[in-house]
Amino acid sequence: MPDLPPENGDDTGAPRWVKVFGIIAVFLVLLFFGLHLTGNSPGGHGSPMDHGSPRS
Amino acid sequence: MTRRVRRGVLTAHVTFAVGWLGAVAAFLVLAIAGLTSEDAMMVRVAYLAMKLITWFVILPFSFAAPLTGLVMALGTRWGLLRHYWILIKFLITIFSTVVLVIHLQPISMAAGVAAVRTLPRTDLGLQVQLAVAPAGALLLFLVNTTLAIYKPQGMTRYGRRKQRERLSA
Repeated sequence: MPDLPPENGDDTGAPRWVKVFGIIAVFLVLLFFGLHLTGNSPGGHGSPMDHGSPRS
Repeated sequence: MTRRVRRGVLTAHVTFAVGWLGAVAAFLVLAIAGLTSEDAMMVRVAYLAMKLITWFVILPFSFAAPLTGLVMALGTRWGLLRHYWILIKFLITIFSTVVLVIHLQPISMAAGVAAVRTLPRTDLGLQVQLAVAPAGALLLFLVNTTLAIYKPQGMTRYGRRKQRERLSA
């Protein structure tokens, strides 16, 4: 692993991979909070496990 | 930072980061076992083990990894805000640590129930959550590992400015 960053900078804006990453991240964050707010999150932060039939 | 210190910190950072990934993978295996096993004793042991792994490995590593990463970034010319791959790695790590801290209470709660009696089957919400969260974390850690190895090019506006200042000095 190199110890120092490359010297050649890039004067253009954010590279494509950052933009794609950002779009995916925003989508996932919106999906995550959307599911939680609508009560459809996987499992959800459950209630205390003090009811129901025990396993055999 | 001297080269020897830099490599020492890098070694620590990689150890903590990859160790965190491995511990979360082990946690996921236990969570799946707790969720799917028909053996009540296996389920109880799984949740007890999940608590141990969390408090003694995952939690300390989740703080040590970003801290050593921060030392690496700020102590070298890489910086924290100059390269997109470093910035994104750091944000993913902070997000993962926050989510972990949020899940400490449900993990301890499940272990607390498992310590005294058999876990009920009907309320699976918490158990599913304790399986989904580490699965998501593993995906994020794979992204981080990929970024760390490939170091895709791309400097932030701040990084380009700092580089111009350094080159013109």
